[in-house]
Amino acid sequence: MKREIVIDFGGITNDNVEQLRIINSTSLPISYADGFYKDVVKAKNESLNKYAYHNGFVIGSICCRIQDESKIYIMTLGVLPSYRGRNVGTKLVQSVVDYAISEEVRSKGVQEILLHVQIDNEDAIKFYQRLGFEKGEMVENYYKRIDPPHCYILRKKL
Amino acid sequence: MTSKDANPQAGKGIPLPKKETDLFRSVVKHYECKQYKKGIKSADAILKRFPKHGETLCMKGLILNCTGKREEAINMVKLGLMNDMRSHVCWHVYGLIYRSERNYNEAIKAYKQALRIDKENIQILKDLALLQIQMRDLEGFTQTQHLILELKPNLKVNWLAFALGKHMKGDCKGAVDVIDIFLSTLEQGSTDLQKSYETSELALYKNSILAESGRWNEALDHLIECKEKDIIVDNHSWLKMCGYYQLQLERYDQAKDAFLKLFERGSTEDYSVHTGYMLAILNISGDLSKRMMKSKGARALPSLMVLSEMQRSMLQKEYENNMLVQYPKSIATRRIIITLLDVESDEWKEEIQSYIQLNIKRGVPSLGDDLSALFLCCSPENGNEYYVAEDPVDVKGHQAFCNISKIVDDIIDSLENNSTFPNDEDIQPPSTLLWAWFLRSVLHEFAAEYREAIHFIDKCIDQTPTGVDLYELKGRLVKKAGDIAAAAECLDKGRDLDKQDRYINNMTTKYLLQADREKEALEKMALFTRHESDPEQNIFDMQVTWYELELAACYGRKKMYGKCLKKYMAVEKHFEDIHEDQFDFHSYCIRKVTLRAYVDVLRWEDAIWGQDTYVRAAEGIIKTYLHLHDNPTKSSEDDEIDYSSMTAAERKKAKAIARKKKLKEEKKILEEAKREDGDEAKSKTERKNLVKDQDPDGLELLKKPHLDEAKRYAATLVKNAANHLNTWLCQYDVCIRRGKALMAMRALFQALHLCRESKFIHHEIFKRIVDFQENGKLAEGSHPAVVEVFNMEKATLLGPTSKSLNAFILEWYEKVKANPPSALPLRVEVAKAMLRHNIGSPMDASKLIIENGLNVREVTLNNCVEALTVLKSIEGSEQHATEFAALAKKVYHLSSNF
Repeated sequence: MKREIVIDFGGITNDNVEQLRIINSTSLPISYADGFYKDVVKAKNESLNKYAYHNGFVIGSICCRIQDESKIYIMTLGVLPSYRGRNVGTKLVQSVVDYAISEEVRSKGVQEILLHVQIDNEDAIKFYQRLGFEKGEMVENYYKRIDPPHCYILRKKL
Repeated sequence: MTSKDANPQAGKGIPLPKKETDLFRSVVKHYECKQYKKGIKSADAILKRFPKHGETLCMKGLILNCTGKREEAINMVKLGLMNDMRSHVCWHVYGLIYRSERNYNEAIKAYKQALRIDKENIQILKDLALLQIQMRDLEGFTQTQHLILELKPNLKVNWLAFALGKHMKGDCKGAVDVIDIFLSTLEQGSTDLQKSYETSELALYKNSILAESGRWNEALDHLIECKEKDIIVDNHSWLKMCGYYQLQLERYDQAKDAFLKLFERGSTEDYSVHTGYMLAILNISGDLSKRMMKSKGARALPSLMVLSEMQRSMLQKEYENNMLVQYPKSIATRRIIITLLDVESDEWKEEIQSYIQLNIKRGVPSLGDDLSALFLCCSPENGNEYYVAEDPVDVKGHQAFCNISKIVDDIIDSLENNSTFPNDEDIQPPSTLLWAWFLRSVLHEFAAEYREAIHFIDKCIDQTPTGVDLYELKGRLVKKAGDIAAAAECLDKGRDLDKQDRYINNMTTKYLLQADREKEALEKMALFTRHESDPEQNIFDMQVTWYELELAACYGRKKMYGKCLKKYMAVEKHFEDIHEDQFDFHSYCIRKVTLRAYVDVLRWEDAIWGQDTYVRAAEGIIKTYLHLHDNPTKSSEDDEIDYSSMTAAERKKAKAIARKKKLKEEKKILEEAKREDGDEAKSKTERKNLVKDQDPDGLELLKKPHLDEAKRYAATLVKNAANHLNTWLCQYDVCIRRGKALMAMRALFQALHLCRESKFIHHEIFKRIVDFQENGKLAEGSHPAVVEVFNMEKATLLGPTSKSLNAFILEWYEKVKANPPSALPLRVEVAKAMLRHNIGSPMDASKLIIENGLNVREVTLNNCVEALTVLKSIEGSEQHATEFAALAKKVYHLSSNF
């Protein structure tokens, strides 16, 4: 039996980016290159790249980028294992959705949010479907070092 | 008119001609406006016609001094003074020059000379008073202020300064009188009588003097009078003073009211207010109450002294029925209630459990330290006052500790299985479990159970690897378990998580220094200093004493004694600067009437050389010089290269290389100095502050006579830190090496006196008493009377029962044996003395060390290493050594020593 927990959001900076590495390494099957972290810091956009804090500690994160000027692409989403099942991930994704449908972003022509999911990651697919994402086409051999290497594209039209 | 080169003023009173007089005035004006170039130009214009005009020469010197040309300045001023000994200006300037060199005694002399010529010169009188208060010539200061007051009685500051002088020199009555007279000179309606910060402060200052002289009645009446006149703005202090005086006057009900009003004003978290309130409830007055009220920190009366059953129940009733109802959110009130309950009672357990649950829910990292204040002990020697148990042996056996541990275990059990607190329905977030583990880890740390502590902190890190605080505790535990290098790594990991966290950055620096990685430590420090110029200089400017002390110790371990001394002396320099900083306050505080705070500052400054930080620095210097004295063959150069392991030819070669290297370095330094001289000529004064350190490695310090230097520092400790045991140990170590047996003996007596309340002798004192009996001898040819006293006192040192050194050692052998938790280092020292004097068998000595395992006091990693070394040296006790190493390995499982 688990209960929702209170979270706050906070930005990712050069001074605390190490925590993003920890979140990613505990929640994602692939490791990201230094360039990824540098870009996240450089973006300086707290709406797209953020931490979830609970009781003062970072427990999750989401990192996105704008793609083709009309899409928001979710690069990574992670929550520390001990804090899962408490709607932290939902709140993180929801906060990005809220941002995407805000006047400011809409006026720039952003129309959808999308991401890649490994084809056998059913939990993740269900998770995103609950949030209104739809399963799109499959991309073969998207991943290099993990098996299966194929993925689906999940989309949410705004 | 005299001839051109004659001095028109010297002794003759003939003034300069009009043109030059005007020029001289402009010199003074330029000096005051800091227009030094113009000042020198004007002075030179006078000197062209009158090259021996004393006052001009002096003024020119003064200006040169301000531009950093000290040498030239001093010569010029001296020349000026020689030419005009009867000028107060010359003497005044002469004094100012000394003052700028911080040679205050000479400056005072010069000012006084100036005043002899010009008795009523306010400026000189003021300058003199400033130095007198700085040098704590309180008598002189008061006299000078009296003179100033007579000259200018219309100025408030002059009255206040005079009163302060009287107060500081202990004439409380006089001080109060001066303030009263001043107030009586004021006209009705004067701003100094109306409600304002200054009026209020002056009234409270006067009041504090009344209280200081024990005139409680008068003080209280005065407080009430002030209230009636409505001139007090600091109501908090007013109430606190009221309550305190009423307590002293045994007017307990009134005192109670005063403290209750303080609670109402929001002081519910001030433990001294709680203590005052409880003293009033219990009708306790007198010295005991004064001592209790003075106690600082988060401890109120029930954790300061043993109270009777009845007293406790009185307080408990009051706190549970009234205070808690009135202030349900007050943490202090809740903590106090816990301390009023019997540790064995169910009530206590319930209270502490809910207190712990509340705080782990909120995530309070310091909860463990907070709870450790409950490990109260009192021993008969301490009378009725509590102290907090810190030694793991005492903590482990403490009822409060055992109960708390059990409660925390139950909480963890329940959280792990049901995510709830015991007997509770609310689902807790994961962070609650995290902080429960964290607390358990800290509790294990208190009991020196590092392996178990690390087990729990690892769980924390596993659950929340992003928690900076967790790495700090882990680092500390790893260090305590014996692996400082790994501890530094661990902290660095935590530091990486939040590079803006200065605290974790500093902790990492400290651990790196302890791990002898000073270069990396400096890099870490530099992240938080100004980014311009040399970080090391910035650290010095910021007076980061903890860093310098750690760095000095690090250099000491690396046998780089010059650098080590330099860092210790940097700390000493900071203290000089702090002392010097008083100048900022002398006139400012009196002008602003912050007199109570000012008096506090003066008294605090009087005691700064007795502060721990300074004592540690001085101790470090003394120990380093003594080490150099004891190991004279190892000169600084030889230290860097170990020649002993080389063959003769290799040694020759190595030395030649070293010599060449040194020559090269010296040449480089010379060239650099030259280059800088050139630069300086270009940009003159701006570069003044960037003077290159001529001796970065402290080699000059190594050349000083080692014993004399050690003696100098020991003397400052004796003078200022007489209540530190280490002062007397250092003093002994210095004196015995200087052949001053009487002084060495006196140091031992002082050390014994400091520890008179302890049932057991401190091992460092024991060691030195044995050493003294073996080596303490008077100089040949001492007077027979001296010899007699000396021998008598030397015997007294052994205590009332023992007649000889052997008896003394035997006595302590038996005392230690009779008391199982006797401290490990004392066991080791007694054993060493037994071995040296063939008292008992070597096996007896060996058993003494090991007989109670590590369930003894003062077990530290270093003490264990020492114990093991001694055990290994005893023939036939290999078994004991192995056993002991195994025990130590259990506690310090990460150490490579066992």
